Amino acid sequence: MVHPASNEVPAAGAMLYVHPFAEEMNKSRRMAAMQSRALAASGWTVLQFDLLGCGDSEGDFGDATWSRWLEDTYACVEWLRAETGSMPALWGLRVGALLALHAMRALSPVPGLLLWQPVVSGKRYLQQFLRLGVAGQLGSADGAARVGTQQLRDLLGHGESVEVGGYAMSPGLALGLEASELLPPPAPTRVAWLEVTSSTTLELPAASSQCVETWRAAGHHVDVGVIEGLPFWQTSEIAECAALIQATLGAVEAWRS
Amino acid sequence: MLDIDREVLGVLVVTLNLKAGARHLQGDSPLLGAIPELDSMAVATVITSLEDRFGITIADDEIDGSVFATVSTLTNFVKSKLAESAA
Repeated sequence: MVHPASNEVPAAGAMLYVHPFAEEMNKSRRMAAMQSRALAASGWTVLQFDLLGCGDSEGDFGDATWSRWLEDTYACVEWLRAETGSMPALWGLRVGALLALHAMRALSPVPGLLLWQPVVSGKRYLQQFLRLGVAGQLGSADGAARVGTQQLRDLLGHGESVEVGGYAMSPGLALGLEASELLPPPAPTRVAWLEVTSSTTLELPAASSQCVETWRAAGHHVDVGVIEGLPFWQTSEIAECAALIQATLGAVEAWRS
Repeated sequence: MLDIDREVLGVLVVTLNLKAGARHLQGDSPLLGAIPELDSMAVATVITSLEDRFGITIADDEIDGSVFATVSTLTNFVKSKLAESAA
């Protein structure tokens, strides 16, 4: 859906939101909508779309592949560009950040890249996701009888789909995700990297901070913000983080076209 | 420097959405079987959160019921993983 920019403030440009993976998308729906409305009120035209097999899109999750999701993303970028006359900034949450970064390799330079709690390693994320599929056996003492994440990974490697937490995942989705890493953007762009933590030390997790260092060493300007709050993309009850919305508005202020 | 005991407790409280009454977890507080919120999916989510928070990698076969017996057994497990990755 499109959140048209308010006409009571100067136009800021366009932004495309790329949602996270599987259940994380449902958990974060409210925060994404709240942020989209706040951005629209400050002059951004925001497009929220559903990748193939997710939310209100056509198709089943089991039909989704990583390359199809990239195609979906390119199509939405083109739509926004045609609609607003300029390249949109990209905003991705979790795996959505990984997908947005991957998509940038095939796109014209974008005016900004907003990362919320980005997944830095698709490989690690896949393993964590597969673990949900074997969770019922994690607590059992009988190690020999267990089905492990490695067995699910082997099935994918043999071209079979696996079912995890009610989601049928195709090899084309799993292996594409697994091969994706949060590499530095292909062209210079302004980056806002925002993470939410419930930790008492407001620091980036080790994996993220290594990644930020790599990007900076490659010459990118990365604005980092760590905000205290609940992990709204995974909490069992829907959570909000108002401070993240404010921090985001502040971070993208400099990107106005 | 992370206060590991406090961080592990924080991960449990946040991941399980423990209500105010259940937040008085201590070292010897029993976990598996004692906290209804800690079902198998929650165990997986706690493991993922610990991996991300501490930058460690936990294999399937390192997790059995004894790790999630009490707050202390879980905290000690995290400490041993951190010692392993520092070595």
